[in-house]
Amino acid sequence: MSNTRDPQDGTSMNCAEFQESIPELFESGANVSKEAHLLGCENCAALVRDLEYIASQAKLLLPIHDPSPTVWDNIQSAIRTGIDDKSAAPSGKRP
Amino acid sequence: MRRNPPIAGEAEAIAKAQAGDAASFEILYSLHKRRVYSLCLRMLGNVAEAEDLTQEAFLQLYRKIGTFRGDSAFSTWLHRLAVNVVLMHLRKKGLPQVSLEETLEPSQEDGPRKDIGERDLILSGSIDRVALERAVENLPPGYRLVFVLHDVEGYEHNEIADMLSCSIGNSKSQLHKARMKLRDLLRSGQRKESIA
Repeated sequence: MSNTRDPQDGTSMNCAEFQESIPELFESGANVSKEAHLLGCENCAALVRDLEYIASQAKLLLPIHDPSPTVWDNIQSAIRTGIDDKSAAPSGKRP
Repeated sequence: MRRNPPIAGEAEAIAKAQAGDAASFEILYSLHKRRVYSLCLRMLGNVAEAEDLTQEAFLQLYRKIGTFRGDSAFSTWLHRLAVNVVLMHLRKKGLPQVSLEETLEPSQEDGPRKDIGERDLILSGSIDRVALERAVENLPPGYRLVFVLHDVEGYEHNEIADMLSCSIGNSKSQLHKARMKLRDLLRSGQRKESIA
């Protein structure tokens, strides 16, 4: 637990207050790692590093899964039997 | 939205599919099935449902492809169509996390705890894609939905708020909680590995 003083307005911020502010800080596009609280709090600094890392890794999650061939078979079948007849569309139905 | 570079042969396939050419529709399916299915699977966390909704998304594409005018990239347009199919399905199932803002919040037990005064394992550089995929699968549905839409698929909070009928603030809050929960899941995975 750490109490640090914000050089901008002289108010102190503890870990709970800082962590409350994280969502807005991230969304503001500001460089969160430069926040005054982090200079004196390694725990919150590690938290911010991890959250930034998770967000950056998520962007690298590529589509890797292929549907089974059955999906295309069902689509073809539905198209053949008449896509305009909504009852023929196999939404949510598995053969 | 991101990840929508032009795909060779796509424009021609779209034009022909709009004219009713079945082979061209199959080409579009081949080009986009992986991305649509991965989206459905990540949002739903269930293979059978993801396959059903992939099927439904492409059937909707078949019905609606004539309305595609090229105002956005085709992949963006199709992706949004698929997201809407999944959200419609979730609403039909009556999942509260996509219909009522106040119940978007998972229970307190599900929520991330505040990380005050605890020395952390450092994740940076130490998690792989498989571990992250697995952790995402284990997120509570409300968290997973917002995390997948924002961090994985690249939607903005205003778009997510619109899709989920919640406030922008709520979307931001859910995203933060999702990341915190993921951190917990990943760290507990690391601990288990270090013990084993």
